[in-house]
Amino acid sequence: MEKNYIIAGFGGQGVLFAGKVLANAFMLAGKNVTWYPCYGAEMRGGTVNCEIVVSDDEVSSVHKQYADCVIALNQLSFDRFISKIKSGGMIICNSSLVKDERPRNDIEYIFEPMTELADEAGNNRLANMVSMGIIFEIEDSLNQDMFEKADDIVLPETRKHLAKSNLDAFLKGYKIKTPA
Amino acid sequence: MTQKELIKGNFAIAEAAVRAGCECYFGYPITPQTEIGEYLSQRMYDLKRGYVCAESELAAINMVIGATSTGAKAMTSSSSCAVSLMQEGLSYACSDELPVVLVNVMRAGPGLGYVYPAQGDYFQAVYGGGNGDYKLIVLAPSTVQECIDLTYKAFYLAQKWRNPTMILADGQLGQMMEPAEYGEYPYPEVDTSSWALTGAKGRDNRKIFSCASDEDEHNAKIRRLFAKYDKIAAEETEWEEHETEDADVILVAFGSMGRNIKATMKELRKQGLKVGMLRPITLSPFPEKRLSELADKCKQFIVVEMNMGQMINDVKLAVNGKAKVDLLNRPVGQWLSVEEISEGVHNILNHKELAVL
Repeated sequence: MEKNYIIAGFGGQGVLFAGKVLANAFMLAGKNVTWYPCYGAEMRGGTVNCEIVVSDDEVSSVHKQYADCVIALNQLSFDRFISKIKSGGMIICNSSLVKDERPRNDIEYIFEPMTELADEAGNNRLANMVSMGIIFEIEDSLNQDMFEKADDIVLPETRKHLAKSNLDAFLKGYKIKTPA
Repeated sequence: MTQKELIKGNFAIAEAAVRAGCECYFGYPITPQTEIGEYLSQRMYDLKRGYVCAESELAAINMVIGATSTGAKAMTSSSSCAVSLMQEGLSYACSDELPVVLVNVMRAGPGLGYVYPAQGDYFQAVYGGGNGDYKLIVLAPSTVQECIDLTYKAFYLAQKWRNPTMILADGQLGQMMEPAEYGEYPYPEVDTSSWALTGAKGRDNRKIFSCASDEDEHNAKIRRLFAKYDKIAAEETEWEEHETEDADVILVAFGSMGRNIKATMKELRKQGLKVGMLRPITLSPFPEKRLSELADKCKQFIVVEMNMGQMINDVKLAVNGKAKVDLLNRPVGQWLSVEEISEGVHNILNHKELAVL
Protein backbone atom coordinates (compact mmCIF):
# COMPACT_ATOMS: atom_id res chain seq x y z
CA MET A 1 0.00 0.00 0.00
CA GLU A 2 1.60 3.24 -1.18
CA LYS A 3 0.38 6.72 -0.30
CA ASN A 4 1.70 10.12 -1.32
CA TYR A 5 1.40 13.56 0.26
CA ILE A 6 2.10 16.94 -1.23
CA ILE A 7 2.83 19.83 1.11
CA ALA A 8 2.70 23.21 -0.63
CA GLY A 9 2.84 26.87 0.29
CA PHE A 10 4.90 30.07 0.07
CA GLY A 11 8.67 29.90 0.37
CA GLY A 12 9.30 30.72 4.03
CA GLN A 13 6.27 28.84 5.38
CA GLY A 14 8.40 25.86 6.29
CA VAL A 15 7.02 23.53 3.65
CA LEU A 16 10.24 21.55 3.14
CA PHE A 17 10.87 21.46 6.88
CA ALA A 18 7.40 20.07 7.59
CA GLY A 19 7.91 17.50 4.85
CA LYS A 20 11.17 16.35 6.41
CA VAL A 21 9.49 16.00 9.80
CA LEU A 22 6.70 13.94 8.25
CA ALA A 23 9.17 11.75 6.32
CA ASN A 24 11.31 11.15 9.42
CA ALA A 25 8.22 10.25 11.44
CA PHE A 26 7.17 7.68 8.85
CA MET A 27 10.69 6.27 8.95
CA LEU A 28 10.45 6.00 12.76
CA ALA A 29 7.10 4.25 12.26
CA GLY A 30 8.97 1.58 10.31
CA LYS A 31 7.72 2.58 6.88
CA ASN A 32 9.62 3.00 3.64
CA VAL A 33 9.51 6.66 2.73
CA THR A 34 10.89 9.11 0.18
CA TRP A 35 10.97 12.91 0.42
CA TYR A 36 11.25 14.85 -2.83
CA PRO A 37 11.27 18.64 -3.13
CA CYS A 38 10.41 20.78 -6.08
CA TYR A 39 13.71 22.40 -6.97
CA GLY A 40 15.07 24.75 -9.55
CA ALA A 41 14.65 28.50 -9.84
CA GLU A 42 12.79 28.89 -6.53
CA MET A 43 12.86 32.06 -4.43
CA ARG A 44 11.61 33.43 -1.13
CA GLY A 45 7.98 34.46 -1.53
CA GLY A 46 7.51 32.09 -4.47
CA THR A 47 5.71 28.79 -4.20
CA VAL A 48 7.39 25.67 -2.96
CA ASN A 49 6.25 22.11 -2.47
CA CYS A 50 7.53 18.70 -1.56
CA GLU A 51 6.18 15.21 -1.98
CA ILE A 52 6.36 12.42 0.57
CA VAL A 53 5.70 8.90 -0.62
CA VAL A 54 5.22 6.28 2.07
CA SER A 55 4.87 2.56 1.57
CA ASP A 56 4.94 -0.75 3.40
CA ASP A 57 6.77 -2.13 0.36
CA GLU A 58 9.65 -0.39 -1.49
CA VAL A 59 8.75 3.13 -2.61
CA SER A 60 8.15 2.92 -6.33
CA SER A 61 8.45 6.40 -7.73
CA VAL A 62 8.28 10.03 -6.70
CA HIS A 63 7.03 13.10 -8.56
CA LYS A 64 3.71 11.38 -9.18
CA GLN A 65 0.92 12.80 -11.30
CA TYR A 66 -1.73 12.56 -8.57
CA ALA A 67 -1.63 12.75 -4.79
CA ASP A 68 -3.61 10.98 -2.09
CA CYS A 69 -3.40 13.97 0.20
CA VAL A 70 -2.47 17.62 -0.35
CA ILE A 71 -1.69 20.13 2.38
CA ALA A 72 -2.28 23.63 0.97
CA LEU A 73 -0.84 26.36 3.16
CA ASN A 74 -1.84 29.15 0.76
CA GLN A 75 -4.36 29.89 -2.02
CA LEU A 76 -1.88 29.40 -4.89
CA SER A 77 -1.17 25.88 -3.67
CA PHE A 78 -4.88 25.10 -3.40
CA ASP A 79 -5.50 26.33 -6.96
CA ARG A 80 -2.53 24.44 -8.33
CA PHE A 81 -3.11 21.08 -6.66
CA ILE A 82 -6.90 20.78 -6.33
CA SER A 83 -7.05 18.98 -9.68
CA LYS A 84 -4.06 16.77 -8.77
CA ILE A 85 -5.80 14.83 -6.02
CA LYS A 86 -6.93 11.26 -6.54
CA SER A 87 -10.64 10.60 -6.37
CA GLY A 88 -11.35 9.70 -2.75
CA GLY A 89 -8.31 11.70 -1.63
CA MET A 90 -8.09 14.63 0.74
CA ILE A 91 -7.02 18.25 0.85
CA ILE A 92 -6.09 19.93 4.11
CA CYS A 93 -6.22 23.72 3.80
CA ASN A 94 -4.97 26.64 5.81
CA SER A 95 -8.22 28.60 5.79
CA SER A 96 -6.38 31.65 7.15
CA LEU A 97 -5.08 32.02 3.59
CA VAL A 98 -7.32 29.71 1.52
CA LYS A 99 -10.95 30.49 0.63
CA ASP A 100 -13.40 27.79 1.74
CA GLU A 101 -14.54 26.65 -1.71
CA ARG A 102 -15.16 23.02 -2.60
CA PRO A 103 -15.09 22.62 -6.39
CA ARG A 104 -14.88 18.80 -6.30
CA ASN A 105 -17.26 16.44 -4.56
CA ASP A 106 -15.12 13.29 -4.83
CA ILE A 107 -12.54 14.34 -2.23
CA GLU A 108 -12.55 15.19 1.47
CA TYR A 109 -11.85 18.72 2.68
CA ILE A 110 -10.41 19.92 5.94
CA PHE A 111 -10.29 23.70 6.43
CA GLU A 112 -8.55 24.99 9.53
CA PRO A 113 -7.22 28.51 10.22
CA MET A 114 -3.69 27.26 10.72
CA THR A 115 -1.97 30.63 10.79
CA GLU A 116 -4.36 31.85 13.50
CA LEU A 117 -4.04 28.61 15.45
CA ALA A 118 -0.26 28.96 15.26
CA ASP A 119 -0.58 32.52 16.47
CA GLU A 120 -2.63 31.32 19.45
CA ALA A 121 0.13 28.82 20.18
CA GLY A 122 2.62 31.67 20.25
CA ASN A 123 4.13 31.95 16.75
CA ASN A 124 2.07 32.74 13.65
CA ARG A 125 4.82 31.43 11.37
CA LEU A 126 4.19 27.84 12.42
CA ALA A 127 1.11 27.02 10.33
CA ASN A 128 3.26 24.21 8.91
CA MET A 129 3.45 22.57 12.35
CA VAL A 130 -0.31 22.93 12.85
CA SER A 131 -0.80 21.07 9.58
CA MET A 132 1.51 18.35 10.87
CA GLY A 133 -0.69 18.03 13.93
CA ILE A 134 -3.68 17.39 11.69
CA ILE A 135 -1.84 14.81 9.56
CA PHE A 136 -0.42 13.02 12.59
CA GLU A 137 -3.89 12.76 14.07
CA ILE A 138 -5.37 11.34 10.87
CA GLU A 139 -2.56 8.84 10.21
CA ASP A 140 -2.93 5.75 12.37
CA SER A 141 0.77 4.92 12.13
CA LEU A 142 1.88 8.31 13.52
CA ASN A 143 1.71 9.81 17.01
CA GLN A 144 2.94 12.73 19.10
CA ASP A 145 6.03 10.89 20.30
CA MET A 146 7.14 10.30 16.72
CA PHE A 147 6.57 13.97 15.95
CA GLU A 148 8.82 15.06 18.81
CA LYS A 149 11.56 12.66 17.75
CA ALA A 150 11.28 13.58 14.07
CA ASP A 151 11.26 17.30 14.88
CA ASP A 152 14.43 16.82 16.93
CA ILE A 153 16.12 15.00 14.02
CA VAL A 154 15.29 17.73 11.53
CA LEU A 155 16.03 20.77 13.73
CA PRO A 156 19.68 21.74 13.32
CA GLU A 157 21.82 22.06 16.46
CA THR A 158 21.53 25.85 16.43
CA ARG A 159 17.71 25.70 16.34
CA LYS A 160 16.93 23.10 19.01
CA HIS A 161 15.32 25.78 21.20
CA LEU A 162 12.42 25.92 18.70
CA ALA A 163 11.29 22.39 19.56
CA LYS A 164 8.92 23.73 22.24
CA SER A 165 7.15 26.23 19.96
CA ASN A 166 6.97 23.64 17.17
CA LEU A 167 5.30 21.23 19.58
CA ASP A 168 2.87 23.88 20.85
CA ALA A 169 1.75 24.61 17.29
CA PHE A 170 1.65 20.89 16.47
CA LEU A 171 -0.69 20.26 19.42
CA LYS A 172 -3.11 22.89 18.11
CA GLY A 173 -3.58 20.75 15.01
CA TYR A 174 -3.33 17.43 16.82
CA LYS A 175 -6.40 18.23 18.88
CA ILE A 176 -8.66 18.93 15.94
CA LYS A 177 -11.25 16.24 15.39
CA THR A 178 -10.90 14.35 12.13
CA PRO A 179 -13.91 14.15 9.80
CA ALA A 180 -16.11 11.08 10.15
CA MET B 1 23.25 -2.48 13.76
CA THR B 2 23.47 1.11 12.64
CA GLN B 3 20.27 3.12 12.61
CA LYS B 4 19.06 4.27 9.22
CA GLU B 5 18.75 8.00 8.74
CA LEU B 6 16.96 10.10 6.17
CA ILE B 7 19.64 11.20 3.71
CA LYS B 8 19.50 13.30 0.54
CA GLY B 9 20.99 11.58 -2.51
CA ASN B 10 23.61 14.26 -3.12
CA PHE B 11 24.76 14.24 0.50
CA ALA B 12 24.82 10.44 0.43
CA ILE B 13 27.24 10.47 -2.50
CA ALA B 14 29.39 13.13 -0.85
CA GLU B 15 29.64 11.42 2.55
CA ALA B 16 30.19 8.01 0.95
CA ALA B 17 33.10 9.53 -0.99
CA VAL B 18 34.59 10.75 2.28
CA ARG B 19 34.20 7.32 3.86
CA ALA B 20 35.67 5.66 0.76
CA GLY B 21 38.79 7.66 1.50
CA CYS B 22 38.46 10.39 -1.12
CA GLU B 23 41.46 12.62 -0.47
CA CYS B 24 40.66 15.44 -2.88
CA TYR B 25 37.52 16.92 -4.37
CA PHE B 26 37.55 19.39 -7.24
CA GLY B 27 34.33 20.75 -8.62
CA TYR B 28 32.33 23.60 -10.01
CA PRO B 29 28.71 24.10 -8.87
CA ILE B 30 25.72 23.26 -11.04
CA THR B 31 22.13 22.29 -10.18
CA PRO B 32 21.02 19.60 -9.36
CA GLN B 33 24.24 18.39 -7.71
CA THR B 34 25.57 21.52 -6.01
CA GLU B 35 25.00 19.97 -2.56
CA ILE B 36 27.85 17.52 -3.21
CA GLY B 37 30.39 20.33 -3.41
CA GLU B 38 28.65 22.30 -0.68
CA TYR B 39 28.78 19.38 1.74
CA LEU B 40 32.38 18.51 0.94
CA SER B 41 33.58 22.12 1.28
CA GLN B 42 33.04 21.83 5.04
CA ARG B 43 33.67 18.12 5.49
CA MET B 44 36.97 18.00 3.60
CA TYR B 45 38.16 21.14 5.41
CA ASP B 46 37.35 19.55 8.78
CA LEU B 47 39.25 16.40 7.82
CA LYS B 48 42.18 18.43 6.40
CA ARG B 49 41.74 16.84 3.00
CA GLY B 50 41.90 18.59 -0.37
CA TYR B 51 39.01 20.70 -1.65
CA VAL B 52 39.09 23.17 -4.50
CA CYS B 53 36.11 24.98 -5.94
CA ALA B 54 37.62 25.09 -9.40
CA GLU B 55 37.29 28.03 -11.78
CA SER B 56 35.68 25.81 -14.43
CA GLU B 57 34.73 22.21 -15.16
CA LEU B 58 37.74 21.95 -17.46
CA ALA B 59 39.98 22.88 -14.56
CA ALA B 60 38.16 20.50 -12.19
CA ILE B 61 38.59 17.38 -14.34
CA ASN B 62 42.24 18.21 -14.98
CA MET B 63 42.84 18.70 -11.25
CA VAL B 64 41.37 15.22 -10.68
CA ILE B 65 43.71 13.89 -13.38
CA GLY B 66 46.63 15.49 -11.56
CA ALA B 67 45.64 14.14 -8.16
CA THR B 68 44.84 10.60 -9.31
CA SER B 69 48.15 10.35 -11.18
CA THR B 70 49.80 10.44 -7.75
CA GLY B 71 47.68 7.46 -6.68
CA ALA B 72 45.34 9.61 -4.56
CA LYS B 73 41.62 8.92 -4.44
CA ALA B 74 40.03 11.96 -6.03
CA MET B 75 36.64 12.92 -7.36
CA THR B 76 34.71 15.56 -9.20
CA SER B 77 30.97 15.91 -9.66
CA SER B 78 28.85 17.79 -12.12
CA SER B 79 25.73 17.63 -14.25
CA SER B 80 24.99 16.99 -17.92
CA CYS B 81 25.90 20.16 -19.83
CA ALA B 82 28.90 20.68 -17.56
CA VAL B 83 29.98 17.04 -17.84
CA SER B 84 30.16 17.76 -21.56
CA LEU B 85 32.97 20.18 -20.75
CA MET B 86 34.91 17.35 -19.08
CA GLN B 87 34.90 14.94 -22.01
CA GLU B 88 38.38 15.84 -23.21
CA GLY B 89 39.72 15.16 -19.72
CA LEU B 90 37.92 11.81 -19.55
CA SER B 91 39.43 10.68 -22.84
CA TYR B 92 42.89 11.59 -21.51
CA ALA B 93 42.22 9.89 -18.17
CA CYS B 94 41.17 6.68 -19.95
CA SER B 95 44.28 6.78 -22.09
CA ASP B 96 46.41 7.47 -19.00
CA GLU B 97 44.51 4.81 -17.04
CA LEU B 98 43.80 7.06 -14.08
CA PRO B 99 41.33 6.15 -11.31
CA VAL B 100 39.19 9.25 -11.76
CA VAL B 101 35.77 9.17 -10.08
CA LEU B 102 33.19 11.40 -11.74
CA VAL B 103 29.61 11.86 -10.59
CA ASN B 104 27.05 13.00 -13.16
CA VAL B 105 23.72 13.96 -11.60
CA MET B 106 21.81 14.27 -14.85
CA ARG B 107 19.55 17.15 -15.79
CA ALA B 108 17.69 17.71 -19.03
CA GLY B 109 19.48 18.51 -22.28
CA PRO B 110 20.51 19.06 -24.98
CA GLY B 111 22.47 22.27 -24.56
CA LEU B 112 21.82 24.09 -21.32
CA GLY B 113 18.45 22.33 -21.07
CA TYR B 114 16.97 22.76 -17.64
CA VAL B 115 17.46 21.56 -14.09
CA TYR B 116 14.74 18.95 -13.96
CA PRO B 117 15.81 15.32 -14.01
CA ALA B 118 16.25 13.27 -17.20
CA GLN B 119 18.30 10.34 -18.49
CA GLY B 120 19.63 11.86 -21.69
CA ASP B 121 23.32 11.28 -20.96
CA TYR B 122 23.34 7.50 -21.40
CA PHE B 123 25.11 7.72 -24.75
CA GLN B 124 27.60 10.26 -23.44
CA ALA B 125 28.41 8.11 -20.40
CA VAL B 126 28.55 4.75 -22.14
CA TYR B 127 29.87 5.67 -25.58
CA GLY B 128 31.75 8.76 -24.54
CA GLY B 129 31.83 12.33 -25.73
CA GLY B 130 35.61 12.33 -25.81
CA ASN B 131 37.75 11.27 -28.73
CA GLY B 132 39.24 7.89 -29.45
CA ASP B 133 38.59 4.32 -28.35
CA TYR B 134 37.91 4.22 -24.65
CA LYS B 135 35.40 3.04 -22.10
CA LEU B 136 34.41 4.30 -18.70
CA ILE B 137 33.01 2.08 -16.00
CA VAL B 138 29.50 3.47 -15.48
CA LEU B 139 27.39 2.73 -12.38
CA ALA B 140 23.73 3.77 -12.21
CA PRO B 141 22.11 3.92 -8.74
CA SER B 142 18.33 3.80 -8.29
CA THR B 143 17.94 4.56 -4.57
CA VAL B 144 19.71 6.72 -2.02
CA GLN B 145 21.12 3.55 -0.45
CA GLU B 146 22.60 2.64 -3.81
CA CYS B 147 24.07 6.14 -4.11
CA ILE B 148 26.16 5.17 -1.07
CA ASP B 149 26.93 1.60 -2.11
CA LEU B 150 27.88 2.50 -5.67
CA THR B 151 30.03 5.46 -4.59
CA TYR B 152 32.04 3.01 -2.46
CA LYS B 153 32.21 0.70 -5.42
CA ALA B 154 33.23 3.46 -7.84
CA PHE B 155 36.32 4.32 -5.79
CA TYR B 156 37.27 0.67 -5.55
CA LEU B 157 36.73 -0.21 -9.22
CA ALA B 158 38.50 2.94 -10.41
CA GLN B 159 41.66 1.94 -8.56
CA LYS B 160 41.34 -1.80 -9.05
CA TRP B 161 41.15 -1.41 -12.82
CA ARG B 162 42.98 1.90 -13.14
CA ASN B 163 40.03 3.20 -15.11
CA PRO B 164 37.85 6.33 -14.85
CA THR B 165 34.54 5.43 -13.26
CA MET B 166 31.33 7.40 -13.51
CA ILE B 167 28.34 7.39 -11.20
CA LEU B 168 25.38 8.23 -13.43
CA ALA B 169 22.57 9.50 -11.20
CA ASP B 170 19.80 11.95 -12.00
CA GLY B 171 18.36 15.08 -10.43
CA GLN B 172 15.53 13.15 -8.85
CA LEU B 173 17.92 10.86 -7.03
CA GLY B 174 20.20 13.73 -6.09
CA GLN B 175 17.39 15.74 -4.53
CA MET B 176 15.35 13.02 -2.83
CA MET B 177 15.71 11.91 0.78
CA GLU B 178 15.35 8.29 1.82
CA PRO B 179 16.29 6.20 4.83
CA ALA B 180 19.76 4.81 4.22
CA GLU B 181 22.89 3.82 6.12
CA TYR B 182 26.57 4.22 5.40
CA GLY B 183 27.99 1.17 7.11
CA GLU B 184 31.71 0.56 6.60
CA TYR B 185 33.61 1.02 3.35
CA PRO B 186 33.48 -2.62 2.27
CA TYR B 187 36.43 -2.88 -0.12
CA PRO B 188 40.15 -3.51 0.40
CA GLU B 189 42.64 -0.73 -0.30
CA VAL B 190 44.28 -1.03 -3.70
CA ASP B 191 48.07 -0.79 -3.94
CA THR B 192 48.97 1.94 -6.44
CA SER B 193 52.70 1.99 -5.70
CA SER B 194 53.66 0.22 -8.94
CA TRP B 195 52.50 3.10 -11.14
CA ALA B 196 51.71 6.23 -9.14
CA LEU B 197 53.84 9.34 -9.63
CA THR B 198 55.25 9.87 -6.16
CA GLY B 199 58.66 11.29 -6.91
CA ALA B 200 61.46 9.28 -8.52
CA LYS B 201 63.90 9.42 -5.64
CA GLY B 202 65.49 5.99 -5.33
CA ARG B 203 63.79 4.49 -8.36
CA ASP B 204 63.59 4.87 -12.14
CA ASN B 205 61.40 7.67 -13.39
CA ARG B 206 57.87 6.95 -14.60
CA LYS B 207 55.68 8.56 -17.18
CA ILE B 208 51.95 8.90 -17.44
CA PHE B 209 51.53 10.18 -20.92
CA SER B 210 48.72 9.73 -23.42
CA CYS B 211 50.60 10.63 -26.60
CA ALA B 212 51.58 7.66 -28.77
CA SER B 213 55.26 7.17 -29.56
CA ASP B 214 54.80 4.94 -32.60
CA GLU B 215 52.12 3.08 -34.48
CA ASP B 216 52.86 -0.43 -33.21
CA GLU B 217 53.08 0.61 -29.64
CA HIS B 218 49.88 2.62 -30.02
CA ASN B 219 48.01 -0.36 -31.46
CA ALA B 220 49.28 -2.57 -28.67
CA LYS B 221 48.22 -0.05 -26.06
CA ILE B 222 44.63 0.24 -27.36
CA ARG B 223 44.37 -3.54 -27.62
CA ARG B 224 45.64 -3.86 -24.07
CA LEU B 225 43.04 -1.31 -22.91
CA PHE B 226 40.27 -3.27 -24.59
CA ALA B 227 41.51 -6.56 -23.18
CA LYS B 228 41.15 -4.84 -19.81
CA TYR B 229 37.59 -3.76 -20.68
CA ASP B 230 36.77 -7.39 -21.55
CA LYS B 231 38.05 -8.49 -18.16
CA ILE B 232 36.02 -5.79 -16.45
CA ALA B 233 32.94 -7.01 -18.34
CA ALA B 234 33.59 -10.60 -17.26
CA GLU B 235 34.12 -9.74 -13.59
CA GLU B 236 32.14 -6.61 -12.77
CA THR B 237 28.89 -6.67 -14.76
CA GLU B 238 26.02 -6.24 -12.33
CA TRP B 239 22.26 -6.04 -12.65
CA GLU B 240 19.02 -6.45 -10.72
CA GLU B 241 16.56 -8.99 -12.05
CA HIS B 242 13.14 -10.16 -10.86
CA GLU B 243 10.49 -12.61 -12.02
CA THR B 244 12.09 -13.31 -15.39
CA GLU B 245 11.80 -17.09 -15.06
CA ASP B 246 8.33 -17.39 -16.61
CA ALA B 247 8.07 -13.88 -18.08
CA ASP B 248 6.33 -13.16 -21.38
CA VAL B 249 7.43 -9.53 -21.13
CA ILE B 250 10.61 -8.16 -19.58
CA LEU B 251 10.81 -4.48 -18.66
CA VAL B 252 14.27 -2.90 -18.79
CA ALA B 253 15.25 0.44 -17.29
CA PHE B 254 18.27 2.00 -15.59
CA GLY B 255 18.78 4.36 -12.66
CA SER B 256 15.79 5.68 -10.77
CA MET B 257 13.42 4.52 -13.54
CA GLY B 258 14.29 1.03 -12.29
CA ARG B 259 12.00 1.71 -9.32
CA ASN B 260 9.06 2.51 -11.58
CA ILE B 261 9.40 -0.65 -13.65
CA LYS B 262 9.67 -2.76 -10.51
CA ALA B 263 6.39 -1.32 -9.21
CA THR B 264 4.82 -1.72 -12.67
CA MET B 265 5.92 -5.35 -12.77
CA LYS B 266 4.22 -6.02 -9.43
CA GLU B 267 1.06 -4.26 -10.61
CA LEU B 268 0.89 -6.19 -13.90
CA ARG B 269 1.59 -9.50 -12.12
CA LYS B 270 -1.48 -8.78 -9.98
CA GLN B 271 -3.43 -8.38 -13.21
CA GLY B 272 -2.22 -11.82 -14.28
CA LEU B 273 0.36 -10.73 -16.87
CA LYS B 274 3.67 -12.58 -16.72
CA VAL B 275 6.02 -9.64 -16.46
CA GLY B 276 9.64 -9.60 -15.33
CA MET B 277 12.24 -6.86 -15.02
CA LEU B 278 15.93 -6.26 -15.49
CA ARG B 279 17.80 -3.16 -14.33
CA PRO B 280 21.44 -2.83 -15.38
CA ILE B 281 23.43 -1.51 -12.41
CA THR B 282 26.60 -1.31 -14.47
CA LEU B 283 25.73 0.43 -17.75
CA SER B 284 29.30 -0.08 -18.87
CA PRO B 285 29.96 -2.99 -18.84
CA PHE B 286 26.40 -3.72 -19.97
CA PRO B 287 24.69 -7.01 -18.98
CA GLU B 288 24.41 -8.04 -22.62
CA LYS B 289 25.07 -11.74 -22.01
CA ARG B 290 22.22 -12.00 -19.53
CA LEU B 291 19.83 -10.17 -21.86
CA SER B 292 20.82 -12.46 -24.69
CA GLU B 293 20.10 -15.53 -22.53
CA LEU B 294 16.73 -14.11 -21.53
CA ALA B 295 15.88 -13.43 -25.17
CA ASP B 296 16.07 -17.17 -25.86
CA LYS B 297 12.89 -17.58 -23.83
CA CYS B 298 11.18 -14.22 -23.59
CA LYS B 299 9.94 -12.73 -26.85
CA GLN B 300 9.05 -9.20 -25.78
CA PHE B 301 11.32 -6.61 -24.15
CA ILE B 302 10.12 -3.10 -23.29
CA VAL B 303 12.74 -0.47 -22.48
CA VAL B 304 11.54 2.46 -20.34
CA GLU B 305 13.68 5.60 -20.40
CA MET B 306 13.53 9.34 -19.76
CA ASN B 307 15.14 10.18 -23.10
CA MET B 308 14.34 9.56 -26.75
CA GLY B 309 15.61 5.98 -26.60
CA GLN B 310 19.30 5.45 -25.84
CA MET B 311 19.80 2.30 -23.76
CA ILE B 312 17.31 0.58 -26.07
CA ASN B 313 20.13 0.37 -28.64
CA ASP B 314 22.22 -1.75 -26.29
CA VAL B 315 19.23 -3.93 -25.45
CA LYS B 316 18.62 -4.48 -29.18
CA LEU B 317 22.28 -5.38 -29.75
CA ALA B 318 22.13 -7.87 -26.88
CA VAL B 319 18.82 -9.38 -27.98
CA ASN B 320 20.14 -9.47 -31.55
CA GLY B 321 16.81 -10.03 -33.27
CA LYS B 322 15.75 -12.93 -31.07
CA ALA B 323 12.87 -10.95 -29.52
CA LYS B 324 10.84 -7.80 -30.03
CA VAL B 325 12.19 -4.68 -28.35
CA ASP B 326 9.90 -1.68 -27.84
CA LEU B 327 10.36 1.69 -26.17
CA LEU B 328 8.28 3.60 -23.64
CA ASN B 329 9.73 7.02 -23.07
CA ARG B 330 9.39 10.71 -22.38
CA PRO B 331 12.32 13.01 -23.09
CA VAL B 332 12.15 15.19 -19.95
CA GLY B 333 9.90 16.19 -17.07
CA GLN B 334 7.54 14.03 -15.06
CA TRP B 335 8.94 10.51 -14.68
CA LEU B 336 6.70 7.95 -16.41
CA SER B 337 4.28 6.73 -13.76
CA VAL B 338 3.41 3.14 -12.93
CA GLU B 339 -0.03 3.75 -14.50
CA GLU B 340 1.47 5.14 -17.70
CA ILE B 341 3.96 2.30 -18.04
CA SER B 342 1.21 -0.27 -17.35
CA GLU B 343 -0.98 1.26 -20.03
CA GLY B 344 1.94 1.38 -22.44
CA VAL B 345 2.68 -2.31 -21.85
CA HIS B 346 -0.96 -3.21 -22.50
CA ASN B 347 -0.96 -1.15 -25.69
CA ILE B 348 2.22 -2.77 -26.97
CA LEU B 349 0.89 -6.26 -26.22
CA ASN B 350 -2.43 -5.45 -27.95
CA HIS B 351 -0.59 -3.89 -30.92
CA LYS B 352 -2.32 -0.59 -30.29
CA GLU B 353 -0.88 2.69 -31.43
CA LEU B 354 1.16 4.15 -28.58
CA ALA B 355 -0.12 7.38 -27.12
CA VAL B 356 2.51 10.08 -26.85
CA LEU B 357 3.42 10.08 -23.17
